[in-house]
Amino acid sequence: MTEQERLDAFNAHVASGGKVEPGDWMPDEYRKAVLKFVEMHANSELMGVLPEREWIMRAPSLKRKLALTAKVQDEVGHAQLLYRVAEDLGKSREAMVDDLLAGKTKFHNVFHYPTKTWADVGVIAWLVDAAAIVAQQALRESSYAPYARTMKKICWEESVHIIHGRDVLLSLLNGTATQRAMVQEALDRWWGPLMQMHGPPTDPTKDRDLAWRIKNKSNDNLRQEFLGIYVPRIRELGLTLPDPELRYDEASGRWLFTEPDWKELYAVVTGHGPMSQQRLAFRQMNYAATQWVRDAMLATPRVAA
Amino acid sequence: MMSPEFEVRGARMKTGTPRTPNPEPRTALAELLLTLADDEFVLGFWDSEWTGIAPMLEEDVAFSSLAQDEIGHARVLYEILAELTHDTADHIAYGRQPEEYRHARLLDHSRTDWAFSIARRFLYDTADATRLTVLANSSYAPLAGIVGKIRREETYHRMHMEAWVKRLAEAGGEAHQRLSVALETLWPDALTIFTPFDGEEELLNAGILPEPLMAIQQRWLGEIASFLQPLGLPFPFREAGGGRYTPTFPITMDSGRIRHSDDFRWLWNEFTMVYRAEPGAEW
Amino acid sequence: MDVYEVFRQEREGEPMRHAGNVLAPDRELATHYAREFYSRRQESIRLWVVPRAAIEQVDDPDLLQPPLDRSFKKPTGYVIKDKLDAARVRGGLP
Repeated sequence: MTEQERLDAFNAHVASGGKVEPGDWMPDEYRKAVLKFVEMHANSELMGVLPEREWIMRAPSLKRKLALTAKVQDEVGHAQLLYRVAEDLGKSREAMVDDLLAGKTKFHNVFHYPTKTWADVGVIAWLVDAAAIVAQQALRESSYAPYARTMKKICWEESVHIIHGRDVLLSLLNGTATQRAMVQEALDRWWGPLMQMHGPPTDPTKDRDLAWRIKNKSNDNLRQEFLGIYVPRIRELGLTLPDPELRYDEASGRWLFTEPDWKELYAVVTGHGPMSQQRLAFRQMNYAATQWVRDAMLATPRVAA
Repeated sequence: MMSPEFEVRGARMKTGTPRTPNPEPRTALAELLLTLADDEFVLGFWDSEWTGIAPMLEEDVAFSSLAQDEIGHARVLYEILAELTHDTADHIAYGRQPEEYRHARLLDHSRTDWAFSIARRFLYDTADATRLTVLANSSYAPLAGIVGKIRREETYHRMHMEAWVKRLAEAGGEAHQRLSVALETLWPDALTIFTPFDGEEELLNAGILPEPLMAIQQRWLGEIASFLQPLGLPFPFREAGGGRYTPTFPITMDSGRIRHSDDFRWLWNEFTMVYRAEPGAEW
Repeated sequence: MDVYEVFRQEREGEPMRHAGNVLAPDRELATHYAREFYSRRQESIRLWVVPRAAIEQVDDPDLLQPPLDRSFKKPTGYVIKDKLDAARVRGGLP
């Protein structure tokens, strides 16, 4: 088989829904594309820990304390699962963390923003996780089999985050005027980043991740799916969404909205978001402070005196 | 339905009918429950702070589970206390002033570095395991019942801490050094887990506390001496005959559970921040 | 002779599942026997053959099924129907 025939066979295989296992032959470009995609996903889980983590120490009841700690723990767990998939594609975890901290690789826009009140905990767990799960559910069909299998586990675990977040917000909405106002204020701040989260529409004929079925749904379709499920659920609570153009268009069967601010998205994911540098510096500081532990784990045990 | 305070076994056996323990053991029982619950609650809070920033992702998840377990144990202990005092677990956990908490001084320090967190958790988990073994035989049925469950969950805590203490000690160098320094610092405060308190006598008489705290402390020291010493880690006690250990450092256990540190006041300020924002609100 | 545990994948993309085991004098023959016993009817597309001695078993219920409540980690731990109805009413919708 010539190199070209091998490549054509591979492309035909994934295009028809075929799966790729780590030990299988794959074009180097495919391997790199999967690695880049999974690495960014892993980075996002890792950095996504930080905004919510600040509230672990402030959770206002025993149940919330348990639920939030467990929720953030899950995100760390997801980072581990995804870094494991990426590591098997040929890049060490240390190298991935180094690149993240040096700003060479990216993480999702939503994790570059501050969390200001307890309502942010609810908005993140309900809506940010919901937007993420829409994308992750589609990734259960990824051509890269270890990634697809990992997504099944992650989606199963995320389902509890969404209901936890909704429960947090419902408690606030049933509470005092101040608590209700907290929810609307948080929603107003998060809506822009949420609308940007799936990324700008891409030309499907040029999107290689789509051609190789590393992902199976376009950015725009994911956003439509998210709006279709969640806008009615937000509005039924008497909350308003800060976009006067947002409405469902019966004729086209699509949601219409003010064009998300793609300049902001680009600036944020390239490290110019309101919390980008602080979060990276915080992670850098903790990573450096615990280097001795990782060194000790690798040390050959010596018999103590 | 019977409320749990009627289920003190000793009391039932004597009269054949359930009755409330006399007022002193009840107050002392509340104090005992509060110390047990506050220990777990405060340790759970400090250790949960590692969630997201532990030395490696695998350990991040593991350590967070330990922290969650402690909060879970605090919850069930506060629930027993709440039944006794007609309160709620959340109100007891979040509704007090800093000086009203009764955790041991061992838990007054912030998480500090990884060696410190491991050293503290090792001392606490081993001491707690010995304490729970005794409390499993408490005449106060609700406590004995819940201790049985808590003990099962502590199995993993001990396994995991022993693995870490061993690994850091055997790695030598900086790891051994940091762990040793942490243990040196924490030993005096670790003894305050067993600080005697007013009312201990009544609890002993009622069988609610089956053994004096100082006796439990001695048993605990005997149990961990043989683990720490071969690893070259600090065990600053001398055997004073009859298997008794006396510390080689001055002890100040009197205020072990009463006066708290600035670290704890910082923690209190954090964990009550949202709770205090809207008094009486549901979250 | 050593025991090797065999895992098999039946269809593309599926996880490897435990199938059974074989006895063999070395790793190479273990793979041959795995093929014979777990795919001679073409029922597998991939096999993993692992020395049993390499397996660590965890089955302590105190570790895997600890007794206290963990409902906050499960969707069934949140019952939102009444809260949702109340919030809808307060939100001003019928």
